[in-house]
Amino acid sequence: MAHLYVKAVPPTDLNRNTEWFTYPGVWTTYILILFFSWLLVLSIFGCSPGMAWTIVHLSHFLVTYHFFHWKKGTPFADDQGIYNLLTWWEQIENGKQLTRNRKFLTVVPVVLYLIASHTTDYQHPMLFFNTLAVFVLVVAKFPHMHKVRIFGINADQ
Amino acid sequence: MIAVPYLTALTTYFSYGLLFVFGQIRDLFRKIPGCCRSTNLQGYAPICFGNEDFYTRRLYLRIQDCFERPISSAPDAWFDVVERYSNDNNKTLKRTTKITKCLNLGSYNYLGFAASDEYCTPRVIESLKKFSPSNCSARADGGTTTLHNELEKSIANFIRKPAAIVFGMGYVTNSAILPVLIGKGGLIISDSLNHNSIVNGARGSGATIRVFLHNTPSHLEEVLREQIVEGQPRTHRPWKKIIVIVEGIYSMEGELCKLPEIIAISKKYKAYTYLDEAHSIGAVGKTGRGVCELLGVDPADVDILMGTFTKSFGSCGGYIAGSQELIQYLKYTCPAHLYATSISPPAAEQIISAIKVILGEDGSTRGAKKLAQIRENSNFFRSELQKMGFEVLGDHDSPVMPIMLYNPAKIPAFSRGCLEQNVAVVTVAFPATPLLLARARICISASHSKEDLIKGLEVISQVGDLVGIKYFPAEPNKPQLDEKTVKLD
Repeated sequence: MAHLYVKAVPPTDLNRNTEWFTYPGVWTTYILILFFSWLLVLSIFGCSPGMAWTIVHLSHFLVTYHFFHWKKGTPFADDQGIYNLLTWWEQIENGKQLTRNRKFLTVVPVVLYLIASHTTDYQHPMLFFNTLAVFVLVVAKFPHMHKVRIFGINADQ
Repeated sequence: MIAVPYLTALTTYFSYGLLFVFGQIRDLFRKIPGCCRSTNLQGYAPICFGNEDFYTRRLYLRIQDCFERPISSAPDAWFDVVERYSNDNNKTLKRTTKITKCLNLGSYNYLGFAASDEYCTPRVIESLKKFSPSNCSARADGGTTTLHNELEKSIANFIRKPAAIVFGMGYVTNSAILPVLIGKGGLIISDSLNHNSIVNGARGSGATIRVFLHNTPSHLEEVLREQIVEGQPRTHRPWKKIIVIVEGIYSMEGELCKLPEIIAISKKYKAYTYLDEAHSIGAVGKTGRGVCELLGVDPADVDILMGTFTKSFGSCGGYIAGSQELIQYLKYTCPAHLYATSISPPAAEQIISAIKVILGEDGSTRGAKKLAQIRENSNFFRSELQKMGFEVLGDHDSPVMPIMLYNPAKIPAFSRGCLEQNVAVVTVAFPATPLLLARARICISASHSKEDLIKGLEVISQVGDLVGIKYFPAEPNKPQLDEKTVKLD
């Protein structure tokens, strides 16, 4: 394992905020973080595995919605504000839709939803909240929703 | 092509994720009490819009003591570093009066002209007395002296181009020339790892910018073909002009550009080429004429040659070399020539003298010795580092060698560890490099002696063991007999 190497090819994306996502190892890190946070929730709260998955799913929803679809711009001033009107989801891969990374990021909340609902045996009220979360996340990632601000929420002047 | 150990990639992403989470939590705690505190600055726009200072506040300031270290002597092979201390966990740093003499592995002092030189310095002092430190005027007004004309002729002769124009600042040379050369309706195709000055100049020009994969001539051809067929965006008219911009030595990778292939492709599709030789002029090539000489490309094939005097010549400023018509055109359109103050006369004299030393026109062989020395030093240092198991980037003969660190915690660990043992290195992290690929960049100079290099290697090896950056297996020590046969070459 220590001698397993991957090739890192610099992509043509000039946006430093999103370019890191095209390097090897990101998908694995994402999945491992989700798995370890499930173990963490289980050990802290001591609840059932299904409840733990629901908690992971809902906090994943809150975190990814805030950072992918709400926060706009980049965390450094060098870009001089050219991305200030775009959320992270709209910035990745220069706005090109339906790339491999985007498909992966759309599939992850759906898989989490399936695991969470399966391990809680599809009971209410967990099922309602899980379904709401996955619905919002998947709709936000549609190609048609690129640069769309519903009812002017999160739009700039 | 960088080979990242997979486990290191995973831990690096996890570390940055953790730093990000901690930064967000701290920001949250800053915002909540901050809402109650009303500010008495009504009607003023905020200095920072949104979260654009997040990286500086939460990540950069933590390791601020590894960057911008003040020095108090000329950046020769050994220099004096001023010690600093902090009382508030690196948010503010205070200078002390104590200095430590450190080995300089970070300055772009490729030929050793950064410190006092026996031929250049007396002439520079003489020109300082004769001309004055500054002309206080633009070239077009009263800022052109005989020194400036001599410098332009000298650099054009050195580069083997018909004419050259010189500016007072290297960064400005790129960002003020590109808007003049190309405008709306033109296409700039630049390498993905080009320097910020080129990116700035390209954005300021108004032309459409397309990027090709770093140093990949096949992708350049693909991009050129696609863009020529499509034409300008929306109107699909043919492009007015296409310029391909590449660098000689990429300062963060240490690798040479694949110049012959790129020039061949550009000629095939009738695109102009712009070569930025900031790091390679004076440092590579048999007589120091840069990457064109090293790779066997005729300078007449490259349309515009740009370079800076800050690296190998020990001065300041930049130049553009090209045909007579191009330089004449630049002289009456470029704002850096018409409005910016001309290059300082002593700095110009330093460059003229440095070129004379390099070409051997001062009557000694110091120039040739310096060039041989830097080549030997770079190759020795790089091969020794690779033998120890470090991941070192860069091509053979290149004086820039980045050592890969990857994890964000290893950046301050390596930097501080080396400084404790009196070796000063420069570490580079996100956003100057990609997130995953933080590195320590070593720049070798002709003024480093063999003992300096060996000491540097010892310290780096020790700190490298401590920090854990020997990602490749170390080569076993070869027996003495092998070394002797290699030396005979």
